[in-house]
Amino acid sequence: MAKRITKIRFYLDYEKEERWINEMCKQGWHLVKFGVGYFKFEQGKPSEYIYRNEMLTDLGKKANSKEYIQFLKETGVELVAKFATWAYFRKKIEDGPFELYSDTSSKIQYLNRIFYLFIFIALINFYIGFINTLGVINDYSTLTLIIGIANLVVACLMTIPSVIVYKRRRALKSKLDIYHD
Amino acid sequence: MTQNPPLTEGVYYILISLYEPRHGYGIIQLTEQITNGRVKLGAGTIYGAIKSLLDKGWIKPVDDDGRKKEYIITSLGKEILENEILRLKELYENGIRITGGDYNG
Repeated sequence: MAKRITKIRFYLDYEKEERWINEMCKQGWHLVKFGVGYFKFEQGKPSEYIYRNEMLTDLGKKANSKEYIQFLKETGVELVAKFATWAYFRKKIEDGPFELYSDTSSKIQYLNRIFYLFIFIALINFYIGFINTLGVINDYSTLTLIIGIANLVVACLMTIPSVIVYKRRRALKSKLDIYHD
Repeated sequence: MTQNPPLTEGVYYILISLYEPRHGYGIIQLTEQITNGRVKLGAGTIYGAIKSLLDKGWIKPVDDDGRKKEYIITSLGKEILENEILRLKELYENGIRITGGDYNG
């Protein structure tokens, strides 16, 4: 059986994470599984695949990720692993360049999806966090304070990727002033 | 005739590809082939575009008998595409007329 390793990493920027996964692949470590803060790799041929991550959720719309994954499969894209709302896909490098989104408009739509989910999670956590820490509810206790602080930490952590995605989206939008893409 | 905004290259090539029934991968392949590799449609991009085009009624699924879903352009889709080709023709002809067109692409 192929050798396996687990790496502990935590990325707030999913694009940086994807770059690191591809860097690992160059060194012969193929991603096989991931979760919060950990990634499992299997040893294989260096530079065999191009990896792409994607957030599958679409807020407010009925998620149909099964159908989407099947569609990708028919175009030769392999699902590596799924965790919560995130998935990693890969394609052999020899099959040529591999991008899930090929034009500016669809990239912006995708960034919108991510941005709204991130900002939603951040706001919900700020809200619950303030209620718990400020003792709005009568039965104020150490426990609600701890939970409240945890909510605020999550809220702050979610604000960072929200800002990253917002800036990325703004940069792409300015391209549409000149190009129709 | 309603004036539609310009189509994206992706949507334009999806509509052209669907003059014959094709599935997603067929659209990607044909587009790459007829643009000599210039336009490589991402699977996420055409998945989203196909959904929107189905909603608008510009394309429709072909009766599902196989494993892979195939689509074909509707008469509304053809009308939109023909208008777009006329718009592109106008752009092209104005460009050639004013610049003289004595250059090689």
